[in-house]
Amino acid sequence: MTDKTISSEDLMARIAKGDEDAFEILVNRHQTSVLNLIYRFTGDRTQAKDLAQEVFIKVWQAAGSYEPKAKFTTWIYRITTNLCINELKSSRRKRWFSFRGSDEGSENTIEETLSDDSPSPEDTLLARERSRQINEAFQSLPENQRTALILKRYDDLCYEEIARILDCSVTAVESLLVRAKRTLQEKLKIFEE
Amino acid sequence: MRYAMKCHSVQKKLSAYQDNELKPEEHEQVKNHLQSCRSCRKQFAELDRVWQTLGELEEIRPDPWFHQQVVRKIKEPRKHGLFPAFERLFQFLRTPIMVSTILLIGIMVGSYLGSILSRSDLFPLQTNPPSYSQEVFFTSMRIFDPAPPGTFADGYLRMVRNKESETR
Repeated sequence: MTDKTISSEDLMARIAKGDEDAFEILVNRHQTSVLNLIYRFTGDRTQAKDLAQEVFIKVWQAAGSYEPKAKFTTWIYRITTNLCINELKSSRRKRWFSFRGSDEGSENTIEETLSDDSPSPEDTLLARERSRQINEAFQSLPENQRTALILKRYDDLCYEEIARILDCSVTAVESLLVRAKRTLQEKLKIFEE
Repeated sequence: MRYAMKCHSVQKKLSAYQDNELKPEEHEQVKNHLQSCRSCRKQFAELDRVWQTLGELEEIRPDPWFHQQVVRKIKEPRKHGLFPAFERLFQFLRTPIMVSTILLIGIMVGSYLGSILSRSDLFPLQTNPPSYSQEVFFTSMRIFDPAPPGTFADGYLRMVRNKESETR
C-alpha cells in the first residue's frame, strides 16, 4: 500500500476494520492541517495539540460509522470546528467560576524557540510579536467568522465546502468573510499605528 | 455595449473577487473596473494587504510522536464513573441546576423572613385586638348578601354566618 495513492476515504474503510497502519497514514497526512486549524482558532499551542489528539481519537472511534457522502476533509474539519467551539464554550464556563487570567501555554518553550528555523533571535521575536498581534485580531472575531476565514485563507477551501463544514449557506459564508475581513482590516491598522 | 459595473456594486463584490468565487463574467467586470477606478483599486489593495498579513501567522508543527500519543490515548482505558450517562447529563444541566438552586434558596429564605416579620409580637404598638381581623372579615362578607339560593356562593355565605354566630 502506497501512502500517496490511497485516498483518505479508502483509508477510513480500512481503519473501520481495525487497520492501525492505515490510521497512521491518515494521521500523518492530516495532522498538520488539523493542528493549525485549531491553533489559529484558539491561539493556544498547548490546547491545539491536545485538541488535535482528540480529533483523531474521534476519527478512530467513528470510523465504523463513517460514510463517504462528502470529502473526508469536510468531515474531519467539521469534527475539528465543533470540537473547537465546544472547547471555547467550556473554557468560558470554567473562567466564570475561576479567576484565571490569560491563557497558559500559549508561548513557545525555550526548546521550541531554539529549534525554530528563524535566522536570528531578533527576527524570531519580531515574527512572534507579529503572530501574536494577528492571533489577537483573530480572537476578536466571532467563532463562525474566524472559522470561515481560517478555512479560506489557510486551507483555500471554496465557499461551498466551507458552507458544508459550517452547515450554512454559501451566501452566509460570503457574508461571514466580508465581515471578518472588514474587522481584521480595522484591528490590524490599530496594531500598525 | 459592455455593461460597466458601478463602484457600489464592485465594492460589494471585492471580497468574493479576492476569493476567486465570482462567476467568470462578473470576475471580468470587476477586473476591468479595477483597472480604471483608483478608489476601488485602493480598497482592493487594502483587502489584499490584510490577506498578505494573515500569511505572517506562523504555522506550528506537530510533535514527531503525535501519532504515538494518539494511539496511546485510544488504547488506555477510559475512566468511567459509576453512572457515565448521568455524569454526561449532569455536565449539561450543571448551570441550570445551580441557577435553580440559588433561586430556591432565595425563595425559602424570603419566605422564612416573611413569616418572622408577619408575627404580631414584632409590632408591639399594634392596638387592634386579635379578633379585629375576624370581625372585619365577617363584615366584608355581608356585602355579597343575598346570594342566589342553591348556588356555591349561597352555601359559602351560610357557612360564614354559622361561623360568625359560633364566634359570638
